[in-house]
This record gives sequence, structure tokens and C-alpha cells, in this order.
Amino acid sequence: MAHVVLKDLIKTYGSFKAVNNVSLTVNDGEFVALVGPSGCGKTTTLNLIAGLIPITSGDIFIGDRVVNGLDPKDRDIAMVFQNYALYPQKSVYMNLAFPLQMRKLPRDEIDKKVREAAKVLDMTQLLERKPRELSGGQQQRVALGRALVRDPAVFLMDEPLSNLDAKLRVQMRSEIKRFHQDLKATIVYVTHDQLEAVTMADRMAVMNGGFLQQYDSPAQVFAHPANMFVASFVGSPAMSLIPLEVSTANGGTVLTSAEGWSLPLSQLNARKVLGATTRKIVLGARHSTIKLHKSAAPGAIPAKAYTVEPTGDVTFVQAFLSGAIVNISVSPNIAVTPDEHIWLEFDQERIHLFDGETEMALQAD
Amino acid sequence: MTIVTGKTGARQELRPARWSLLLQKIWEHRADYAYVLPAIVVMLIVIAYPIYYTVELSFFNTPPGLQLRDKIFIGFDNYTAILTSQVFWKVTWNTLVWTLASTFISFALGFAAALALHRDFVGRGVLRAILIIPWVISAVAASYIWKWIYHSDFGIIGAVLVGLGLTDRPPNFIDSVSTVLPSLIVVNIWREFPFAMIMMMAGLQTVPDQLLRAAKVDGANAWQRFWHVTFPHLRDVSTVTILLLAVANFNSFIIPWIMTGGGPSNASHIWITHIYELAFGRQRWGVASAYSVLLFLFMMTLGYFYVRALSGNERKEANS
Repeated sequence: MAHVVLKDLIKTYGSFKAVNNVSLTVNDGEFVALVGPSGCGKTTTLNLIAGLIPITSGDIFIGDRVVNGLDPKDRDIAMVFQNYALYPQKSVYMNLAFPLQMRKLPRDEIDKKVREAAKVLDMTQLLERKPRELSGGQQQRVALGRALVRDPAVFLMDEPLSNLDAKLRVQMRSEIKRFHQDLKATIVYVTHDQLEAVTMADRMAVMNGGFLQQYDSPAQVFAHPANMFVASFVGSPAMSLIPLEVSTANGGTVLTSAEGWSLPLSQLNARKVLGATTRKIVLGARHSTIKLHKSAAPGAIPAKAYTVEPTGDVTFVQAFLSGAIVNISVSPNIAVTPDEHIWLEFDQERIHLFDGETEMALQAD
Repeated sequence: MTIVTGKTGARQELRPARWSLLLQKIWEHRADYAYVLPAIVVMLIVIAYPIYYTVELSFFNTPPGLQLRDKIFIGFDNYTAILTSQVFWKVTWNTLVWTLASTFISFALGFAAALALHRDFVGRGVLRAILIIPWVISAVAASYIWKWIYHSDFGIIGAVLVGLGLTDRPPNFIDSVSTVLPSLIVVNIWREFPFAMIMMMAGLQTVPDQLLRAAKVDGANAWQRFWHVTFPHLRDVSTVTILLLAVANFNSFIIPWIMTGGGPSNASHIWITHIYELAFGRQRWGVASAYSVLLFLFMMTLGYFYVRALSGNERKEANS
């Protein structure tokens, strides 16, 4: 296993920058998820690491080696693809053996390694089958096996679970996590599903528009999103982001809405917003941190329930504040009906404040 | 025992139900049948009847001219006459050489061209358009052009060879028994390799990019990627292309007929030109019909494999 370092990585297609100055380090044995919406540059970044597309500028290190100009086969990587990319005419055995045959290993060694990998992934009984005779989950396991037999420095995984159905995805998610723990493998894992990133990765690199937005542990990314994009991307349902304006009232700092209501800020939060260069502030709050009152309460802001979605464990209520959708989760034994008047109370300790122009999270100096 | 009788009883009950179901289905689709009816009627008149009449004629000794009422039934005599004649074996051999050489060389050339054009390079579109030209030119025009190219006195190939000092006199490409068939095959290949090229280009576009990438990561070089990924993926389209080429080549007529008329001394006669000459040149309708029936049987066999290759694909797709 080895560590991976990306330094000022840039990939342009004509005037379009697919990957923009991305720098990050994947430690030896670490599971890093590259996550972001479609077109954010995460798959391009992975292909750059793999060497499937040439970089425009910057450096890629695998181990202590600069691999910028190397062919994929010389980078000591293995890759798992979204559509599994198994060779349809070859049996499972031959699929697993293929990368070893290409490296001209002796036949008995190939056989040993293939059978070992099959054993690890519990598919010894599938070795003679063709990929088309396997289920999606089994095919994905073969793809994992084909990466495993090589004993590579780094595993690169490109949305390996997105072709599976929901139930199988959850199961394979824990299998891959277990695979990582058992092998202490260095894994770079691309996904558009923030839940996969949060549940599996040691660290997640959130990308958007070719830029690395934030690179930290899932807990940190969740608790301290660096900007509005990360805040809205990580977590489900998404963090509510309410555009407001700073003003002073009765000697205190408040956020006022165009709708007429205002929210007094705690001292710490007041320091944060006063440090901003603009008066436009965006208030962020996760669904679980907003308290819903069925009658007027001090400090609570009046709103009207828009939709109510019971999920069993919790019920999600949606309302509009200052033109933004606000998600609130309540216990299922609290009955809320659409169009009912509700009052929302924000937790000063747990709200997030963003600069309305730069969209960056505001810090207290 | 009771179970067995029960079973057969059930089956007997099923049968009339199935028939009425079929009739009901036909009735539900009566409009669809009405729409295809004109086409079926036309097909019966222009295809089914001539086939029947050809088979009938093949059992008769026919007088020259069109006085076919005077024909005499002779059983399989036409067939035995054909199968024991030397010309038949000569023409059959020519047809085989013509078909196999044209088909496989066209396919190989077309495949190579498709692989070359599959890469991205400057001028690819222009080159692709140029390579398709032989296929879009009328076969008649192409035949006349090539006749001039091959001409022993005025042909450009002869002139070039003499100019280069490779030979004293221009070679006699299509007037010599030994070179006429290969010369015609060259023309045929020139004309139909673009077809194989187009088919294989379409096939190449369906090779999954991810598989090629996976092979790259697995350490396969360009040739290994071709052999392990691209080529197996193209097996079905290759089968279909080769079969279509083979059928077209068996039925070739224009190029040999216009360029040589089958000569010299039958050296470039293939089945179709020979049948045409027998029928419309020598007016031996019965023999020509028997020839046609033999060719028909042969083509149906090829057609059977073609359909099987096609439906095999569908079955595979349905399974995957």
C-alpha cells in the first residue's frame, strides 16, 4: 500500500477547467471518498490518478514516485468501474486471471492468487461462470476481486455501487468497508452519493465545479461545512439555507427577513456576522436542530407547514421562510398537517452562518 | 394412472381453447393483416409465382424461343446433365473462389480501414468519405472504368508497369484465362470493402469504453486490448457482415458480366452470369431453371445461417 498526493492538479478541455488546482493527500491505508454532483470533476480526478487521461498541469505522487507520465499499468493501481467492466466472453476465473496474465506471471502463481481472491470474496463456486450469468452484486464482487488479485498500491473505485439496487447497495457498502478494514488498503472512491461517502470514508473530498471545496473527516464536514455548497450537499435532507440581512435592534445584532420577522443572535454569532464584509447573511440549520412549536413561543418564528412526510422514525416537515425551503424533523407522534401554522425555533449553538456573497462559512475571530 | 389421464384430458381441453384464442388474436389484429395484404399479394405475384414456375421448368426440356407450351417433361434429366457437365464444375469452382476471396479480403480490408478510422486524427472525415466512394458508385460505371484501367493497350496499369520497366508489354489482365478471375475479384473487393468498413465502424462504436479502460489498467497493451476486448465484442457484427458479403458475392452479376461476359472460355463465369447466359443467351430455359433451383437451395442454406446468427444475437441480448 502507498499514499497518494495530488499537487495543484489541473485538467482542462479547451477553455473548460474540469479539475481546478486540486491538492490533497491520501494517507497510506486511508479510505478517501471524492464526492460531488455530476460534472464536479471527481471522476476526471480519479481518471487522472489512474493515468487514463493525461494531466494538464500539476503532479501526482503514488508512494514517493511521480507518476505524471506513466501508463496506467505502470502506476501500480487497480480500478473498479461503475459498470463492473468485466470481460463478457471470459469466465470469472479468466477475468480474475487477466491482469496477472498481462503481467506474465507463471501459471501456478496465477492460479494460487485467483483462488485466494475468490476465497476472500466468497465466490469460489462462481469461478467457471460467465459474467452474464451473475447477479449485479456478484459481478461487482468479481470486479473487486480483479482489483484485489493484483495487490496494488492503490485501489481506485469509480461509483462501484451506483448500478446496484438500493438493498444490495447497502450490503455491498458494508462489504467494501470491511474489505478496506481487512486489507488496510489505500482507496480512492468516487461517488455522487454523499451518504456513501459519509458512511464509508475516513476522509471525504467534496468537489464542485472542478474545485475541491472541503477535505476533512465526514464528521467535520458535517459539523463544520466550509461553505454553502458543502452545507447543502452533505446531509439528507439538505441543510436549510435562509437568506437574511444583518441589522441592529435594541443594541443587539439581529438577522432580519424581508418577510418582517427577525432573529436575535447570540454574542458569538453576532461576532461572526459582524466580521463579514457584506450585510447579506445566509442562515443554515439542519433539520434536527430546528425545534417546531405548534403555538407561538418566545424566539420562535412563525411559518406555515407546506408538506409533511412521515418516514416512520421521524416525520419531515417542510415550510418556507424568506422564500427558502426549511426542513424540520419532528417525532412521528407530533401531528402536523399541511398549511397548519407552526413556529420554528433555531438553536444558536448549532446554526451555521454564511457570507451571502462569498458563500463561505463565517468564523468568529 | 389417474394423474396421466388427468393430464391428457387437460391437454385435449386446452387445444380448442388455444385455437379459438389464436383466431381471436387474428381477429383483434384484422386491421394489421389488412395493411400487409397488398404487399403479400404483390409478393405472391412477383416472387412466389416465378419461384414456382422456375421449379416447374427445371423438370422440362424446353424449346428455344418462347413457345414454352411445347415443353417436354424429362424429370431430373436437367439436373443430371448439369451435375455431370464439366462447365458446371468449372463455374462452381469459379463461384467459390470469387465468393470466398471477395468476401474475406473485403472483410479484412474493411475491418482494417474501420480500425484505422476509429482513431481521432486530422482529415478523418475526408478520408472516410473518400473510402466510401467505391461503394456509392454505380457498379456498371465502375465496371467500365476498370475495364479501361485493365485495358491491354490503353490501360493505366499496363502503362505504369511498362513505364517503370517492370515488363516489356502491358499485361493482358482480363483477356487471359489465368488472370481474368483474380482481376475481377480485385474490382469486386474495391467496390465492396467500404460496406464492411461501415459495418465494422458501427460495431467499433459499441465497444464499451470502460472495458477498454479496465484492460488498460489491467496492463493490456494496444494489441492485447484489441484481442481480448474489441475483437470478441465484434464477433456478432463480423458474422453478419461476412454473411451479407457472401450472399451478395454469390449473387454477383454486374461486374463479371459487363467486364468479360464470363469469358475467356468460361474462365470468369460464375453461377449467376452462367445462368443468365444459358437462359437469355442460349434460351435453354429448362437447364437455366434447374441451375437456378440449385442456387436457390444453396442460398436458402446460407440464409438459414444468417437468420440463426441474427436471432442468436437477440437471444443473447435477451439473456443479458
